[in-house]
Amino acid sequence: MDIEAIKTQIESEIQSINSPQGLEEFRVKYMGRKGVLAQLTGVIPTLPVQERASFGQQVNALKEKILLIIKEKQGSLSGEKLMTQKGSGCDITMPGIARELGRLHPISQVMDEICTIFSRMGFSIVEGPEIETEFNNFTGLNIPLDHPSRDAFDTFYLKSNSKLLLRSHTSPVQIRVMKSEKPPLAAVVPGKVYRPDATDASHSFMFHQVEGFMVDEEITFSDLKGTLGLFAKAVFGKDIKMRFRPHFFPFTEPSAEVDISCIICKGKGCSVCGRKGWLEILGSGMIHPNVFKHVGYDTKKYSGFAFGMGIERIAMLKYGIDDIRLFFENDLRFLKQF
Amino acid sequence: MKVTYNWLKDFVDIKVAPGALADKLTMAGLEVTSVEERGGDFVFEIEITSNRPDWLSVAGVAREVAAITGKKLIEKSHKVTKSQNHKAEVKIEIENKKDCPLYTAKIIKNVKVGVSPEWLKKRLELVGCRSVNNVVDITNYILFETGEPLHAFDLDKLQGNAVIVRRAKHGEKITTIDAQERPLNTGILIIADERKPIAIAGVMGGRETEVTETTRNILLEAAVFNPAVVRRGRRSAGIQSESSYRFERGVDLEKVTCASSEAAGLILGLAGGDLTGARTAGLAKSKKRTVKLDLFSVNKILGANINAARMKSILKSLGFKTSGARNVFTVKVPHFRFDVNSPVDLVEEIARVHGYENIAMTLPRVKPKPRLGEQPDKVALIKDILTGLGLNEVITYSLMDKSLLREFGMYAGAEALEVLNPLSAEQEILRPALIPGVSACVARNLNQKQDYVNIFEVAKAFGLSGGVPSEELRLCIALCGTKSMLLDRGVVKDTAGFLQLKGIIETVFERLGLKAHDFRPSERPSVIDILLAQEKIGMMQKLDQPALARMDIKNKDLFVAELSLERLLFYYKPEKKFSRLPAYPGISRDISLVIKEEITAGQILETVKEEGSVLLRQARISDCYQGKQIPAGFKGLTISCLYRSDERTLTEEEIEPLHSAVFKRLYEKFGAQIR
Repeated sequence: MDIEAIKTQIESEIQSINSPQGLEEFRVKYMGRKGVLAQLTGVIPTLPVQERASFGQQVNALKEKILLIIKEKQGSLSGEKLMTQKGSGCDITMPGIARELGRLHPISQVMDEICTIFSRMGFSIVEGPEIETEFNNFTGLNIPLDHPSRDAFDTFYLKSNSKLLLRSHTSPVQIRVMKSEKPPLAAVVPGKVYRPDATDASHSFMFHQVEGFMVDEEITFSDLKGTLGLFAKAVFGKDIKMRFRPHFFPFTEPSAEVDISCIICKGKGCSVCGRKGWLEILGSGMIHPNVFKHVGYDTKKYSGFAFGMGIERIAMLKYGIDDIRLFFENDLRFLKQF
Repeated sequence: MKVTYNWLKDFVDIKVAPGALADKLTMAGLEVTSVEERGGDFVFEIEITSNRPDWLSVAGVAREVAAITGKKLIEKSHKVTKSQNHKAEVKIEIENKKDCPLYTAKIIKNVKVGVSPEWLKKRLELVGCRSVNNVVDITNYILFETGEPLHAFDLDKLQGNAVIVRRAKHGEKITTIDAQERPLNTGILIIADERKPIAIAGVMGGRETEVTETTRNILLEAAVFNPAVVRRGRRSAGIQSESSYRFERGVDLEKVTCASSEAAGLILGLAGGDLTGARTAGLAKSKKRTVKLDLFSVNKILGANINAARMKSILKSLGFKTSGARNVFTVKVPHFRFDVNSPVDLVEEIARVHGYENIAMTLPRVKPKPRLGEQPDKVALIKDILTGLGLNEVITYSLMDKSLLREFGMYAGAEALEVLNPLSAEQEILRPALIPGVSACVARNLNQKQDYVNIFEVAKAFGLSGGVPSEELRLCIALCGTKSMLLDRGVVKDTAGFLQLKGIIETVFERLGLKAHDFRPSERPSVIDILLAQEKIGMMQKLDQPALARMDIKNKDLFVAELSLERLLFYYKPEKKFSRLPAYPGISRDISLVIKEEITAGQILETVKEEGSVLLRQARISDCYQGKQIPAGFKGLTISCLYRSDERTLTEEEIEPLHSAVFKRLYEKFGAQIR
């Protein structure tokens, strides 16, 4: 049987079909158990071995074609529109057909971006528990109890055990890592943190931080500046300016807050930067010798730097978001913008 | 804290403009958050870090201004009136020197309490302090100028002859000058007369003994209280004041006498009266401290090259005294610098005044110890699979309302971890499961007129294991509503259901090479257990009515799944093995059956696989149908079987009997009919 002849026959037959019954008859004729295709398939074993494969392929192609033709006809018979226009190509102005991709939450995206930057610099990514001990969250980090420096870290405690709390920053992971490993160390720690702040456009009782630290025999404050300089350019672009301002954190000495030139007004002064031209993005410094003492490191031998940043703040600056609550409302119309 | 430009000029000859001065201060660690021109002066709002109580005064900021502008600090000379050496008629008793190392009192008689002069009112007003009367204003003025908190009592209102510094007794109360009655406890340090409390030490005075227009004689207090005790006192009393703010951070003991004399001098000048006596109890000197500083180590930490002379001059400008050999200094710490105890504290001082901007940017020589294939990488892979399947990631709060547990049927099983100090009911407990938060998120989106919500969250769930608080990383997926897709031939609708959810989870398992997975109905209605290697690692659920009602979801089914990612990743083995591609083509054969409705696809497939010969390589469900052509109580099912041999190309004749046997078996076992 000539397959090409069958094709021509099919195309002319299908044109004249205008009812579901007609289509069913057509289907049985070609696809039925004793139909044309079955006969063709039956022929295969009788052919010379070298012809079988190519003939089989032709039969398969024919089968596909018939199935497609039947489907199309079903569609047109049931009154549904054909989206592609045969012959004249297609209406390319119709929406493309694709599966919709989901999105990662903007906080995850920013956090991943930051971790990737540091991971390319040789930092590894480490995580820690969200329920922490008072020691790891405060004492080990040189934040004494009953001291004003704790005011910056109001904390949720657990009812069942007053020595356990929800970490108020990711810094306790420094203590965990340093207690279990010896230098050289370079790690970044992404994660959730909690502080009992009343919720408003710029405060949330749960938010995210990325902490980073590096400890070795000759780590300097200038290394901290260089590392963060590279980071700021990677996140905010090559033209960004950066400044280090002396500050106080109990767990670092010397300590610095890091500002970048305002990404909205380019340093001229606007409402976002409070007319200062600078935006504070992170806190940093050289790890305090008392922290090293708590984890049993030789303070004469080792030095290191640490830094920490709030991800919501960076995401808000990066995308121009003006209300932190949007991150936790998870409106799909919001999430799908990133 | 606020200071003014002109007030600073009392102490240092400032040649730079206010704006430039603000920048210099900011870059030295006193962050100026605003400069405001008011009444011919400039008000600086400065954020003082908690380690620098010595900056909590005009004089303290002026010392810094002098250091960073290279000027000399103008020391104010103060007159010491002789009569302050006379013993006053009031005795001072300190219960515990640890609570109060120093207490001084001056008695000034026959003062005329009245309105303050304009200059005094204006300065106080510029730094945000309301004018009360001349005596009170003077104590405040000295506080802002020197950082030494003072308090004036109406002497005639005190009972007896003693001022006692002691812990409050249980049940004692005081009405403070803000007219609030406050219960006291033994944790709170107070000033008392012989009968009752007259002030919360270092925090706020009592209303009964405050200085008013009718006051004639005063007792002027200048003291030092233990920072931790003041902190505890003001926290438990629930008030804060300019005084407590400074005492908590540390007040310079050596300047107490000086501040007291200055205040007395001003009172005599502005309100008249006579200084008739003074009393002091406690120490008058603080401990001398020295720190050894190795110059080499300064540059080593900073990665800088600052020479010895520069370091010396910086330290000198800040009030430190240096002596000793060329490379190692002995540095005498001034009494007001409580924060300097070790060499690294001096490193910061040197770096700060030298200028952080003058330290180079270098890159560390990293000796990386990369961790590969750690949990974060695997979790990222799972998230990528899920977004690839069209799901959107959400982040919901880890804290939740305890009352939600009941509607979600979780109260009985989980012992909730409660938060000691929640701000609202929404923060009562650490969530034992992700489902409630994710469901609320679905509800919110339905409210915003979304027809279809498909979301997931990866986060910790919390609980108690063996009485110890524990946390576990979990994955929660939620599907709800109907998705319409415009395909080639029109609109196709896909409504959320268990099988959609199962398909997503199966895809994750398969992509991670987790083969031994199973989905089984649990004892609970509408709940399906998810198993890996026979271990239950999670479940899928169609939310029931109470939960839907609580979430305010109407006329929609919500399907959720929650799995332990930690258990899932435990089984994950990233190694993959190559299987040789088939050398010979296979033959695919379908069987279309009509079977009783209650027979499951799983039962059918299992039987097919049992019966099928070694040549049957794959059997899968390719169609499932119920409708017109199928009698009620039955369903149509199509199974596609793939037969293949590794040795040769199979013929139809070989397959026929094998395939018939499969059908025969299905007929015998389930009474299946050919469709």
